[in-house]
Order: sequence, then C-alpha cells, then structure tokens
Amino acid sequence: MTEIGKRQISNIVALSLACAAAALGLFWLIFILADVLRHGIAYITPELFLNEATPPGMAGGGLKHAFIGQLLITLFAVLIGIPVGILGGTYLAEYGRHRWIGRFISTISDIMISVPSIVIGTFVYAVFVKPIGHFSGYAGALALAIIMIPVVLRTTEEMIALVPWETREAAFALGAPYYKVIIQIVYRGAATGILTGLLLAISRIAGETAPLLFTSFNNMFLTTDMNEPMPSLTVTIYQYAMGPYDDWHAMAWAASFVITVFILGLTILGRLIIRWKYKN
Amino acid sequence: MSDSIMTVNKLNFYYKGNIHAVKDMSLNIQRNKVTALIGPSGCGKTTFLRCFNRMHDLYPGHRHEGEIIFEGSNLLERNDITQLRSRIGMVFQKPTPFPMSVFDNIAYGLKLKGIKNRAELADRIEQALKQAALWDEAKDRLKQSANSLSGGQQQRLVIARALAVEPDVLLFDEPTSALDPISTGKIEELMDRLKQEVTILIVTHNMQQAARISDHTAFMYMGELIEFGSTEVMFTNPKEKLTEEYITGRFG
Repeated sequence: MTEIGKRQISNIVALSLACAAAALGLFWLIFILADVLRHGIAYITPELFLNEATPPGMAGGGLKHAFIGQLLITLFAVLIGIPVGILGGTYLAEYGRHRWIGRFISTISDIMISVPSIVIGTFVYAVFVKPIGHFSGYAGALALAIIMIPVVLRTTEEMIALVPWETREAAFALGAPYYKVIIQIVYRGAATGILTGLLLAISRIAGETAPLLFTSFNNMFLTTDMNEPMPSLTVTIYQYAMGPYDDWHAMAWAASFVITVFILGLTILGRLIIRWKYKN
Repeated sequence: MSDSIMTVNKLNFYYKGNIHAVKDMSLNIQRNKVTALIGPSGCGKTTFLRCFNRMHDLYPGHRHEGEIIFEGSNLLERNDITQLRSRIGMVFQKPTPFPMSVFDNIAYGLKLKGIKNRAELADRIEQALKQAALWDEAKDRLKQSANSLSGGQQQRLVIARALAVEPDVLLFDEPTSALDPISTGKIEELMDRLKQEVTILIVTHNMQQAARISDHTAFMYMGELIEFGSTEVMFTNPKEKLTEEYITGRFG
C-alpha cells in the first residue's frame, strides 16, 4: 500500500471515531430532552408558571412558588457571587500576579470548583442555618454564591490575564492611574469573556439541588421573604419525584424540562457571545 | 550641543536583584531632533528609554541613580507622574490600541487631562489624526473599533493618541519592528515631520533606520554608552572600534 493510501485510511478511521463520539454525546442530550418532554408535556402549560401548588389530586396546580423561589435565591446568589468573584479575579490577575497569596487563592479556587456541592450545603448549614436556628432563602443563596464565586473568580482572572500587558503600559504611559487602567481599559477588553463566565456560572448554580436541601429547604407556599424556608425548582423536583402522586411526577418532569432548557439556553447564549466577540 | 531639552547625568539603573542595566550614562538630548539609541539586544537601550517617562515605577524593586534634567529639575524625582507622562509620551513595539473606538482611543489621554467638551475633543482628535497621517484613512471610521484597523494604521493611531496630549518628547521603542516595509516607510516619514513639534527618542535594531531618520545616535553596549554624536559622523567615521564593528554588522 502506498504512503498516501495509509494516510487516507487513518484519516477516515480518525474522522469516523470523532463523528461517532460527537453523535454519542448529542444522542444523550436529545434523548434526555425528549424523554423529559414526553413525560412532562401535559403539564407544560401557562398554569405551571402562573398557579401555586394545589393539594394532590386537585387539578390546576402549578409551580409558581418554586419558580419565584428559584429566581429569588438565584438573584441573591448572583448579587453576592458576582461582585466577590469579579473583584477577587481582578485582584488575582492584577495585584496578586506575582505574589504567593495570589497563586495560593487560584489553586484553592480550582479545588473549590470540584468540591461536591453537597459539602457546601452542609457547610452553610453548620455556619449559618444552625446558629440562626431555621432554614432560609438567604442560606440557600449563600450556598449557591459559594459555589459560584470560584467559577467567576477564575474566569475573570483568566479573561483579564488575556488583555496584553503592553495595552496597560500604553495607558500608564498616557498618565493613567492603575484603577482607571483596570476599569476603563482592562474590563473593556475582557468584558465579553467575563460575561460568558458569568452566564456559565449562573447556569451551573441553576441546576443545583444538594446545597439547597440543607439551606433554603423547601416550602409548599409562595413566599418572597428570604428569611423563611424557600421553595426552589430543583428541590421541588426532588420532592415531587419522590412523592406518591402521578400528577406530582408529571409536574416534576415538566419542571425538569423547563430547567434543562433554561440552562441549555444560558450556555448557548454564552457560546453566541464568544462567537460574536471573535467575529468583531 | 546647544539647545538641549533633556540632560542625562550619570544615570544608573538597577533591576530588581541589583542587576546593573544602565551604567553611568551621560548625554544631552537636543530639542526637535531625532536621537536614535542603537546597540545589540540586552545592551540596556530600552531600559534607558523607559527611564524618561518613569515606566520602571510600575514595577517594585527597581532603582535609579543620577539624574535626567527636564524643565529645570530631575524628572526621576518628580511626584506628578501623570503630568510628566503627558509631557513625555511613549509608543511601543507592538501597536497597543485600547479596546474601544478610534475616537475614544485618542480621547482617552485628553480625558485624563480633564478635557470633556465634545467639540474640543473632536477638534483635537482630528488634529492628532492629521499629524499622524491617519486622518484620510480613519475619518469615516472614527466610531469603529480600533482593532479593525491594520497593524500599520494601529501604530499610527497610537502615535496620534500620544500626540493628542501635546507632548514635548515622544519615546519610540522599536516602533516599526512589527510592521511591513510600506507601513515602516510611512512611520519614518511621519517622524521626520513630527520633529518640528516634538523631540524624538527612538530605540531601533534597524541600522538603516537609525541612519535614515536620526540626527544623533547613541551606541550602547552592555549598559554603557560607547559613543554618542551626530548620526552622519557615527555612520561614516565612528571614533570607537566597537561602534564600527557593530554598525558594519560584525556582531550584535
């Protein structure tokens, strides 16, 4: 066999393997979405979003309380997590670049990213829920924020580090002080990257159940008081799926579909922003 | 050496860890002339250049000795670094456009100086772009991202940005080494015109470039000033053997 022939064969083999691997990944994604949709479709109606829970067996129930709870907990987590993450990432990339403490925090963050989320849940239970004496939306938000911080921190650090050092020097050479260089030049250069990181971090916490079980717990009723136990979509899915009623199961499927599509949407939005950035 | 704008007096510079990069340099920089700094890689010419606008202040652990007299005082001792850097601008080897529009790039230095009036900004930006020979190419693209310009255009944009704040001195650190010959030619022409208004110091690895554009040349070797004088004399009849060997390409 000729040399070219051999190369063509190995090319075909490698290409087929790569395509097969991609198809396998895609298959499960579509399978999950389709299966979740099939089981839950009957309950994906406006009522799901607009009505509160009804007693089991009574028609017309929805998960409004869980959606609102989820939104509130996520919102508060974002309010804590994003500023801390971005400012921390800025410290690591700018001021802490050559200090041992900077490298130490980066390494700790990498470890934090892979800590099982239930560990974070029990941690917040021990330091926040237990001393206060009851579950609360704040505790849930805190747990999600702790999961979010290292993700935001490391993406911010990496995106800021991608802004060439010469660009900063050029701004210094015009007489700009360091804080103006960071705010006006560095953040602008890293903005799309940081935004993508934020979206990915939000989608990461949106699907978490374990850290909420010990913190915000659950609530069958609508509440906007963050100091009370709060329902969330994920814990509600868990509760409904474990429950004995058929309409609970179907509603859990419907909620699963909604949350999966939401996370998928956020991730796709993140990708689109990256693509848009490279086009410009 | 009559009309000098800056006088360097026994300047020594040490990098962190006491690495002696510039040794006992003394020379006069003449007003409205182009002074070229040449020498092999690592000879300290960029380090020397960066002393003039105190870029070394950004990094802790470095140390100066000696003086650079500018406007009657030692600029190494000045406290108003922002003011100093707007008088002594700098252009780097790679183009360094800021991630914003062409207009905002040039407005940046002006805003730092407190100029906020839109009409005045527009005026000074037009003037700076004309000075940097970029107006014709950029006048319809002021709102576009500076990254959409070509490399040579970006370098002229950076020069326009430095000119907009009306400096007395411009420092160029190998400004054309990342550019093609045509862009290089444009920037060399530009420098020749600019010396009507500013004094230019340029670090270059390109011997022909130094010969073409500079009035005076300083040859540095291992942190020391070996020879300094008129470019014409230096390239035709150098006093030092080392200078001759370097400019004829026998080492470096």
